[in-house]
Amino acid sequence: MADYATKPLDGIRVADLTMMWAGPYAAKLLADYGADVVKIEAPKQWDNIRTLFPPDQITEQWFNSGAYFQEFSRNKRGLSLDLKQPRGKELLGRLIAQSDVVIENYRTEVMDSLGLTEEWLRAQRPDLVIVSMAGFGKTGPESLSMGYGPIIEQMSGLASLSGYGDGIPFKSGISYGDPIAGIAAAAAAVTGLIRRHRTGQGMTVDLSQREIVTSLIGEAFALWSMNQRLQPHLGNRHEWMAPHNAYPCRGEDQWVAISVANDAQWAGLVAAMDDPAWAADEASADQASRWAHRDDLDERIAAWTQARTKEDVFAACRAHDVPCGPVWNSTDLLADEQLNARGYYEPIKDPDHAAWMTHGWVWRWTNSGPCILAAAPNFGQHTREILTELLGVDESELPALAQAGIIADAPVDPPIVSVL
Amino acid sequence: MAGVRVIDLSQGISGPYAAKWLAGLGADVIKLEPPAGDVSRAAGPWPNAEPHPETSGLYLYLNTNKRSLTCNLDTSDGRAIAGQLCAAADIVIESNPAGYLDERGLGYDWLRQAKPAAVMVSVTPFGQTGPYAHLPSTEITLYALSGQMGVTGDPNREPLKNGGSQPSYQAGLHAFAATQTAYLGALRHGLGTHLDISAQETFASMLEYFASYTAQNGEEYRARMGNMVSAVWGIYPCLDGYAGMCILPRNYDRMAAATGIPELQQPPFNDPHQRLEHDDTLQAILYGWFAGKTRKQLHAAALEFGFPGGYVATVEDLVASDQNAHRDFLQHDDHPLAGPLDFPAHLWRAEHGWDRGRAPLLGQHNHEILVGELGYDPDDLARLRELDAI
Repeated sequence: MADYATKPLDGIRVADLTMMWAGPYAAKLLADYGADVVKIEAPKQWDNIRTLFPPDQITEQWFNSGAYFQEFSRNKRGLSLDLKQPRGKELLGRLIAQSDVVIENYRTEVMDSLGLTEEWLRAQRPDLVIVSMAGFGKTGPESLSMGYGPIIEQMSGLASLSGYGDGIPFKSGISYGDPIAGIAAAAAAVTGLIRRHRTGQGMTVDLSQREIVTSLIGEAFALWSMNQRLQPHLGNRHEWMAPHNAYPCRGEDQWVAISVANDAQWAGLVAAMDDPAWAADEASADQASRWAHRDDLDERIAAWTQARTKEDVFAACRAHDVPCGPVWNSTDLLADEQLNARGYYEPIKDPDHAAWMTHGWVWRWTNSGPCILAAAPNFGQHTREILTELLGVDESELPALAQAGIIADAPVDPPIVSVL
Repeated sequence: MAGVRVIDLSQGISGPYAAKWLAGLGADVIKLEPPAGDVSRAAGPWPNAEPHPETSGLYLYLNTNKRSLTCNLDTSDGRAIAGQLCAAADIVIESNPAGYLDERGLGYDWLRQAKPAAVMVSVTPFGQTGPYAHLPSTEITLYALSGQMGVTGDPNREPLKNGGSQPSYQAGLHAFAATQTAYLGALRHGLGTHLDISAQETFASMLEYFASYTAQNGEEYRARMGNMVSAVWGIYPCLDGYAGMCILPRNYDRMAAATGIPELQQPPFNDPHQRLEHDDTLQAILYGWFAGKTRKQLHAAALEFGFPGGYVATVEDLVASDQNAHRDFLQHDDHPLAGPLDFPAHLWRAEHGWDRGRAPLLGQHNHEILVGELGYDPDDLARLRELDAI
């Protein structure tokens, strides 16, 4: 009998061929919600995310310990398998026969070149849900373009909307295209499972990472198609709200965002600032005049914020119901009152560090149990258990598989290179 | 999702975006709007910048394929209609302030009694619980509180909010994925759930290594890096705009070959262990290379040589894009009131296809739903209208 502790994806198995960020983020969501996600890496073709931003100290287990890798691969099992060797591919076939979903984020042509065509995958399991998430999709003249998240953001149109107002477009601080595509790929996998549940048929998903990010700027398409106008860079300003900006606070590189949408919020901000005389001026009488005088108001407000910490400004604004947000850095974010009150962070333990806190449930739901049940697997950690318990390999064959380089318990020659 | 009934009680961006794609997948999505209409009807953009509730571009994009029923939850008749619809629904999506539906007898505690297999999705800035649950917010304050703003923008200037309404949109995409996951769970296990989606939490979960590195190693990793994470990971001005590259060590040689600059194919630049020490020099060389080429030339070089490179595409570029045309990514509509509209039309390509219907007029389906499906007498409609219930 199901109860609220039953996870929606309990009993679903995912063969995870993804690397780097977008794909692993998708598979992480599936794992968090109950799927048995088997992360597959070849001894010589391991997930590059292990070598990006490695941990602060290079240890024997450094390739298993990076924060990046840990965050994206928790709750998964690790299987090492060289898919370029026939025996490796045959074992993958046996895994797929017992999987519900295969997910991959290679460049368009890679799966075919490995012989892992749709036809071959379906031969292993006819009602499989196959999710491909190449940067630009499987078809079309740009389908062979290589795209990491920052390129996806540029090609999607989003970067063209961001900027201080001097004409220079800006990228997001993160590789924005990656997680955004990852969320959609998780949705696609689940949509395929819904379809299979209802019709008995599998599904093949051709997801373009760029299209997902483009779907997040719909109103800019409306502006263009209606009026042939491109959305201008507004910096931290707003089309009609004022004040609306990031203001400097006490300390080095400390900022607070404040925005005022109506007269009541303006009255609140004035009260938060202890009723300065200038606020009685006509320039701030109503929304339209505040917007017209936004430069002056910003200067006055900055003078007030500058003398205070961002936390003090936040507290004063909160007390008067003014939309305000301190610009949290990562240390601040870990201490955020709301996130901690909601139990957002959960401990995770990698081989080289004391337990540290990372986000748990991204989609909070009626189940109140912990989200993180296991740290990211060490390279190939579950190879033996998966091969012998699931794929019918005899224990005695394992040394020969290791000898042939089909399986391994450490990646072969990962370079210790931080890209930055 | 044909045959699946969704009641969309949400307004603005997040909830409507999630429900839009359910509708695109064939679900019957009934959007309950307050008699004054969804707030996005007042958001624009409008043709010739003339405000009109039926021509707001934001509304028209976010509500495709839905049916619209006006319903005032502050009246008892309105609550009765909403209750009747929700109790028969598979999925209810809402974005009201925490406690709002409970106060009106329509919260999850009621829904789980009425239909245990129903999925309720609440998507709000900070979630249903906690000290910020009722904190007022806008896109920029959410951007700040999620940690995303601190890492975006020029390191020598104030942090920068990125374009559009990303905090709301990304929460909407999360809400869509969460809804599908929970609905699958309900199909498989016979039990629904209440999803409590917080835009702050979903955005904070996408901070790359920033938060995790700090938690693991006890120190800030680095703050804003602007457009130049490094010389080979950045955005450069070019002849007709801006273009960029994002080169990991394994991509470098192909990029260097594409430039045809011999210097870049030799040490120190082609050695990943030395490259960063000469980043400024490398940046200067690349500024020169980009400056002499158009965006399309640079993208063609990336394609030909096989390295991750692209350009800053505008919406105009995307509407004209061969790639988008090939994949039939945009839907065109000649809207009777708003004129021509080109919108993204799908999230992915698959066997099921996506519906491409228009967003509804305010209350367009009142008669169809109330009289045709809920059994109201046509005469009731006038009374309900008079009571401001619909």
